Amino acid sequence: MKNLAFQARGVLPALVTPFTADEAIDEPGLRGLVQYVLPHVDGLVPCGTTGEFIYLTADEQRQVIEIVIDEVAGRVPVVAGACAPSTRQAVQLARAAQEAGASGCLVVTPYFLHPSDKGIYQHFYEVASAVDIPIILYNIPQVVDAYLPRTVVEDLADIPNIVALKDSSGNLTYTMEVLEMTDGRLDVLIGHDEVVLPALAGGCSGMILASAQVFPEIWQGVYSAVQTGDMDTARALQSSVQKLARIFCRHGGGVAVKAALNMMGVKVGKPRRPLRGQGGVLINEVRAEIRLELEKLGKIAKPVVKLPVREEPLVERFASLGLPVEVLQSNSVRLGTAVAGDGAEKVQLDLVAGPKDGPVGESYALQLTYPRHGHEALTAILEPNLTVRPATLIIPTVKLKNLRQANMIYGPTQAAVGKAIVDGLASGLIPQPAFKDEVMMVQVTIHPQALNRHRLYCNACRAMGEALQNAYTGE
Amino acid sequence: MGKKPEWFKGIFPALVTPFSDGAAIDEAAYRSLIRHVLPDVNGIVPVGTTGEFVYLTEEEKHKAIDIALDEAAGHVPVVAGTGCASTRETVALTQYAKDAGAHAALVLAPYYLKPTYNEVYEHYEAVNKVGLPIILYNIPQCAGTHFKWWTAEGMAYLDNVVGIKDSSGDMPFLMALFEKIKGHVSIFCGHDEIVMAALAAGADGAILASANLIPDIWQEIYAAVRSGDLAKAQNLQARIQKLVRIVVRRGSVQAVKEGLCMMGLDVGNARLPVMPGGAFRREDREELRAQLEALGKIPPQGVQYELSSKTVHTQVPATPQTPRRISGFALKVGEGFAGPPFSELAHVDLLLGERGGPVGKAIEQALAVPHPGHEVRIVSERPRTLLVPTITVRSEKQAEHIYVCASGGVVKAIEASVADGFLPADALEDLVMIANVFVHPAAANRTRIEMNNYKAMRAAIRKAIEGRPTLEELLYERQAARHPFRYAP
Repeated sequence: MKNLAFQARGVLPALVTPFTADEAIDEPGLRGLVQYVLPHVDGLVPCGTTGEFIYLTADEQRQVIEIVIDEVAGRVPVVAGACAPSTRQAVQLARAAQEAGASGCLVVTPYFLHPSDKGIYQHFYEVASAVDIPIILYNIPQVVDAYLPRTVVEDLADIPNIVALKDSSGNLTYTMEVLEMTDGRLDVLIGHDEVVLPALAGGCSGMILASAQVFPEIWQGVYSAVQTGDMDTARALQSSVQKLARIFCRHGGGVAVKAALNMMGVKVGKPRRPLRGQGGVLINEVRAEIRLELEKLGKIAKPVVKLPVREEPLVERFASLGLPVEVLQSNSVRLGTAVAGDGAEKVQLDLVAGPKDGPVGESYALQLTYPRHGHEALTAILEPNLTVRPATLIIPTVKLKNLRQANMIYGPTQAAVGKAIVDGLASGLIPQPAFKDEVMMVQVTIHPQALNRHRLYCNACRAMGEALQNAYTGE
Repeated sequence: MGKKPEWFKGIFPALVTPFSDGAAIDEAAYRSLIRHVLPDVNGIVPVGTTGEFVYLTEEEKHKAIDIALDEAAGHVPVVAGTGCASTRETVALTQYAKDAGAHAALVLAPYYLKPTYNEVYEHYEAVNKVGLPIILYNIPQCAGTHFKWWTAEGMAYLDNVVGIKDSSGDMPFLMALFEKIKGHVSIFCGHDEIVMAALAAGADGAILASANLIPDIWQEIYAAVRSGDLAKAQNLQARIQKLVRIVVRRGSVQAVKEGLCMMGLDVGNARLPVMPGGAFRREDREELRAQLEALGKIPPQGVQYELSSKTVHTQVPATPQTPRRISGFALKVGEGFAGPPFSELAHVDLLLGERGGPVGKAIEQALAVPHPGHEVRIVSERPRTLLVPTITVRSEKQAEHIYVCASGGVVKAIEASVADGFLPADALEDLVMIANVFVHPAAANRTRIEMNNYKAMRAAIRKAIEGRPTLEELLYERQAARHPFRYAP
């Protein structure tokens, strides 16, 4: 190693920058975050992409770096972001970081105007020459809109204080190429949470990750398992966080990381505008998904919820739809019910079908005018603009408390109900006249913590098939 | 010395290849299609990209070229698509076109495996030896390789190359071609969205998918540019811009084919794996239909509504899917979905029925009971229409999105449906509707909320009345339908 003060090894979280409600830097929040991750990490990286460096002034970056260094109190090295589009700005940031006591600098490929290979080389050369601390090159084409060219990396690797490259591209062909062409002259740190295991196995010496401030201990586990050649353990650990890693990388970035930390009680506030805390790059449905994943990892407490099974006689289950027992016992009305699956993906369906111009038709129309909060009815479709017939309403019986829960109904459950109905048309189970003249309503009961969409889809499809069999053959 | 042939200018449709139900080439439909475009075009192009050349056997390509030549019968020149992936096949097909009597061959750059520019040059050199005039064809969207101007320039000097068709839509590339080879060979635009600009900048003509649908309008644009009336050409291009954008970006072949079918020219579907409701989404079909109507391509026809109390006669822009007698007005269900963008997508669940039926009763009952968080409103009296928010309204912003923006779109859709006859004047007192509208809580762009709700509501009204999707459509998509919210993030 060229510089003993800092080794590009192990797990380094790319810290978010906590903000107060009025978008000021939240010093207690930042200190709290550092304390939360410190026991599990080999270093810290403030003012990177996840740290919203692009929304911070140079003074604010200096302030963030100073707070982090102060809070760390020498226990691990601090690698400060020195990311800027111009060389002049990057040099100033790197010098400021060195003065503040940083152990190294992370320098991103110059962005916005797209300089030539020569310009990119000169940029890193000048930053490296301006300071004495180690420099980590930073390839992140997702936001820079260009790769740090491999041939430039090859040459930069000869500069004494350029010690590593952080590769966030997730493109392992690039990572392998850099490892091959620099041949030990440069350490490569993986910066893409979804491919940590293969990157480490392929020769990366460590990681700088956004998710390493959410579950640093899991990444430590992956790191040491790969070191000792225990690939089974490494795979199991990577797999346990794969979905969250994907969400952090592709469905919200630092915004999603902030949302996760806030849920865990590590208060880091919202991102700066124009980003929204939720409902922007991080859509509400995905935010709710993060919560369940954190519950699974034991990062937040998992409420115990039992699936309310409906056990009263079938004819009594439609009272909330305004369909009393007498009506349901009439000849023209068909009923069916079925349960499929178990655990969180168990599905119960109660089905009523009848002529459009009778009480079932009237109840159908009323459901669409009188949505009950949390039990809003929706029309069954195979996909948008492909409504199934007989026209069918899906009504959730368990109150929907968030958009992810709603998503389980209007996503997999709805698709399954639609598919089962069209299967029933194809097999002749549902007679042709019913196609035009009848409507159906399906009350669906699914667990609020249902998580596996494929299992839910299969169970709902099976249950709907059986309920239709019930309704149309009396079996 | 220039090689521009006198005949190679103006508007050439890239003909679709009609298929019958059994998926064989439908010769009768093919001939009808050619007769439909013939009065307005300067030539025709069978077996191009739009002609699904890549899904045709060699024998079928021969047949399509033969039919086109026979039906054109010397009235207009025929430019046969002869591009294949390999040089051997391309040479053979070009030879066939020459022997059959085609005026020229349209030869696209070899695709799939990506030959280098010297290999591409030698490919064209080999085709050049056949002796039929050839037109170079750049379509990077499908071929995967974009000509460089210097490659095109070099190939333009092969002695039988008489033109180049550029479908890239890359205007700077086209400008470079004008700079380098204008006057030497003919330069054709193949991207429907920029035709007027390309002609004004110096293109000799255009080979277009949308010229199957609207050859007359393209001819007017061509004539306007030729006569120097750029203002007229701009206005005409603007009138068809949405239609051609749908064709170019939303499924091309299938879009053109469904458009022709809606106009009454049954050319069948594209071959699998292209599917109806695929790249050409169902919401695009509604939009294409509306555009064709606005251009007078789908004229109104008589349809009769059998209400329980009376029969109402109306004139609507009917397609072959529209039933001529419609009954069952007790309760009709329609659905409309329009997007993107995601946050502002619109989803309307519509109920349409008679005042005295279940829909009418539900409306009166709904108005009699307060709905906290789901306040319902009558947004139209003729026909009486109740607007219901699908999800709970929690903020003033959401309320504005529902009761101002989405509602505005819904009302405009009702007005449009009264104007086009789907909601007939004689039935406005008898019919009632419930529009259950979804606006995502994260929505921000108010103009798009209104626009998408307009589209979704208009489609929902038509689908309810026409009974779409049909049983056939549902069964056809039983396996392939893909619900967008079924999958984990």
